[in-house]
Amino acid sequence: MSEVHLDEKVESGGLIAHLRPHLKGYGIIWITLALFLLLTVTTGPFFSEANLRNILDQQATLLIAASLATVAMIAGGFDLSISAVFVAAPLLALQVENATQSVLLAVVVGVLAGLFVGCLNGVVVAVLKVNSFIGTLATSFMVFGAGYLISDRRILQPETETFRKIARTRWFSLTTATWIALGVVLATWFLLSRTRFGRHVYATGGNPEAARLAGVRVTGVTIAVFALTGAAAGLAGVVSASRSLSAMPSDDFSFLFGVISAVVVGGTSIAGGEGGVWRTVFGAFFIAFMINGFNLHQVDPIWQRVIQGAVILVAVSIDAWARRRPAG
Amino acid sequence: MPTIALDDHVLLKGISKQFGSTRAIDSVNLTIRRGEVHALIGENGAGKSTLGKVLAGVHEPDEGSMTIAGKTVRFRSPRQALDMRVTMVAQELQLVPTLTAIENVYLGIESSRGPVVDDRDHRDRYQRLVQQSGIGVDPSRRVDSLSVADQQKVEILRALAREAELIVMDEPTARLTADEASNLLQIIRDLSVGGTTVVFVSHFLDQVLDVADRITIMRDGRIVRTSEAGSESTGSLVEAMIGRTLEANFPPKSPPDTTAETVLTVKGLGRVGSFEDVDLQVNAGEIVALAGLVGSGRTEVVRSVFGVDPVDCGSVEMLGSGVGLGTPRAAIASGMGMIPESRSDQGLMLRRPVRENASLPRLGLFSRLGMVLRRGEQESVQVATTEVDLRAASLEMPVESLSGGNQQKTMFARWLIERPRLLIADEPTRGVDVGAKRAIYELLAGLAEDGMAVLLVSSEIEEVLGLAHRILVMRGGRIVCEIDGIEASEAEVLEAAFGTSAEEAVGV
Ligand SMILES: Nc1ncnc2c1ncn2[C@@H]1O[C@H](COP(=O)(O)OP(=O)(O)OP(=O)(O)O)[C@@H](O)[C@H]1O
Ligand SMILES: [Mg+2]
Repeated sequence: MSEVHLDEKVESGGLIAHLRPHLKGYGIIWITLALFLLLTVTTGPFFSEANLRNILDQQATLLIAASLATVAMIAGGFDLSISAVFVAAPLLALQVENATQSVLLAVVVGVLAGLFVGCLNGVVVAVLKVNSFIGTLATSFMVFGAGYLISDRRILQPETETFRKIARTRWFSLTTATWIALGVVLATWFLLSRTRFGRHVYATGGNPEAARLAGVRVTGVTIAVFALTGAAAGLAGVVSASRSLSAMPSDDFSFLFGVISAVVVGGTSIAGGEGGVWRTVFGAFFIAFMINGFNLHQVDPIWQRVIQGAVILVAVSIDAWARRRPAG
Repeated sequence: MPTIALDDHVLLKGISKQFGSTRAIDSVNLTIRRGEVHALIGENGAGKSTLGKVLAGVHEPDEGSMTIAGKTVRFRSPRQALDMRVTMVAQELQLVPTLTAIENVYLGIESSRGPVVDDRDHRDRYQRLVQQSGIGVDPSRRVDSLSVADQQKVEILRALAREAELIVMDEPTARLTADEASNLLQIIRDLSVGGTTVVFVSHFLDQVLDVADRITIMRDGRIVRTSEAGSESTGSLVEAMIGRTLEANFPPKSPPDTTAETVLTVKGLGRVGSFEDVDLQVNAGEIVALAGLVGSGRTEVVRSVFGVDPVDCGSVEMLGSGVGLGTPRAAIASGMGMIPESRSDQGLMLRRPVRENASLPRLGLFSRLGMVLRRGEQESVQVATTEVDLRAASLEMPVESLSGGNQQKTMFARWLIERPRLLIADEPTRGVDVGAKRAIYELLAGLAEDGMAVLLVSSEIEEVLGLAHRILVMRGGRIVCEIDGIEASEAEVLEAAFGTSAEEAVGV
């Protein structure tokens, strides 16, 4: 029997046809780099160490949560409760810190609280078979509510210096928040691209029935990705509390919107089965550069929103176009 | 039977279509006459589906010109093709699973009063359509609750409802039983007599010779020749398709070792409404076929044995120890492997690379501490895909970009990485070309000879007769008889499957 047949006939097509394979799947990289260059050229302060360091620091909490949200999305799950956990987990952590002065315990409790909510989401979606949009929307309300109960509707502040240092220590000129985010991104990348679990995540999102028939524990994978997303949102919340030296209850979904924008602009498919953490990293920085550029150019914040929405739409459309495959 | 209408319906000149580095069709010139049944045959990946899709507007050709009914056209969408009254029944089913049969049939061509869909009119038209074509499917059933064969019928009804003058049918009989297939062939003949042109893509050469007026043979994206069906024979077609002749269709059966251990024992398996009292055994080195009509419960039984669907009673044992039912994972751990009936729904992650699809159930072999060792994976997949003669530009291509037959081979390769003790193969040669079919037969026979137990479900009676050591015939959810595979005749199997004499059965 013959070798796997390698076809080397490459023929010429139009310019667009030539461009497409290169753009295919990597559009977000080019768009982000283009924006980077544009801002470097048009604004002096953009390409300064302080500004770039600042952007990295500001993106840290988002990247922590968005990395794992990417994993959930690839597995075919959509987690709306990220915001609620992001708000409530640090409140619990700070209560623990205030009561015990133990930072380690506080962080562990904050992350475990996220993990717990994530497990609950996972069970709701995988076992009770509730659509993940609806299921995590419902748990969101519960967790937002819990945030008010935990904090007694107050703004909480850390009492120990150590807690303040979690995100704000500088190592090699970058903040620990940045390093934590880098660690989470790398770990997630490794998980997705190098491990069996990662394969099972892609398989589950790509075709759950086929995955099950191939012996993948589809239920287990789904619970695990929600649990991890919850834990990451909890960690992001704790880091954020340390950055801002406070935490307060709210029912604000805006953190979720940032996370979802980064994941989707990066090009991870909402339909599941496709995507990657590196995409989310580019998606996050694309949006961050854009906002930074607006501020440097002193664009009216109201207009910023309008333009931001439009630019995201364009970016996503270009990516979709570049990745469009012939039907069939 | 040459047709009377003489004008040319379709004229293709220098049509080419390229996917990445693969030239799927290459400077194709072809004339299709109005009202003829024009068969398109060739190996897996020869470009048949691609050519069909170009005709039906699914793919826009890179080069060349296309004239339909005297007009030069350039289709950019299936809709534009439909406006020129060209449509297609695709190889991979393309229905909306959550809609009903009738909704799918009239999707996109709804009749309406103002903005309101006229369901009554749909029902009337559906009724007429079913009467005319003889293809009956319950219109109110949701498509995802229909069997694969019924879904195929819905696809055909959909094409008929569009009142197309040219219908491309890509392997329409691959999912049908023998009698359903012969029904469809009759429908195709009727359509052709009524003036509709049919492009018929198939790997079943006897059906092609039976129904086609002219036959075009493709190879590597090019046309080898177009000829009158009357001047061809199975032998001449095969030779032109694969460039060599094939001797006997099936490898010789080695008599099974009577002292071999029993690999699979199923006792009293039943599920209310599907099947009951199923007892069966498969020994090492033995190929056991489940035969029967579509709907007789064959697929349901093997799915339950593999843990895909639940059962109400009964037990499954592998090598003497019980298997936890209801999870494929336990079945795989106990030494089973399965090639499911529908590769696209139940088998493959279409957007993932061939490599990942092939290695999925055996990832553990290439993992250390949860990490996948790419090199080992790559090598094993390469060996397995070579063994089944899978052709892909690269193992990193998404499976969806492979031709139908090569997708099926990916499913096979999956279980060659590490061989299971029992292989359940549900319609294993669906959509596979003659050469590859022969290769799969040899593979199955070889695997059995090496001691694998094989449980085969097939609607192709020759396949059952040619491969099986024992044939279990199912009817109405029960195993009604066991026939020795060495001496079995077609009539005997059909008789048991229909529960009547074979003569009546064939004359459906
Ligand atoms: N969407 C696509 N993207 C990339 N390559 C494709 C695509 N569709 C088809 N091909 C390639 O084009 C070639 C022809 O495929 P095609 O599906 O037309 O074959 P076929 O003759 O219908 O085969 P089969 O009998 O297996 O169905 C194959 O090499 C296939 O891998
Ligand atoms: Mg095909």
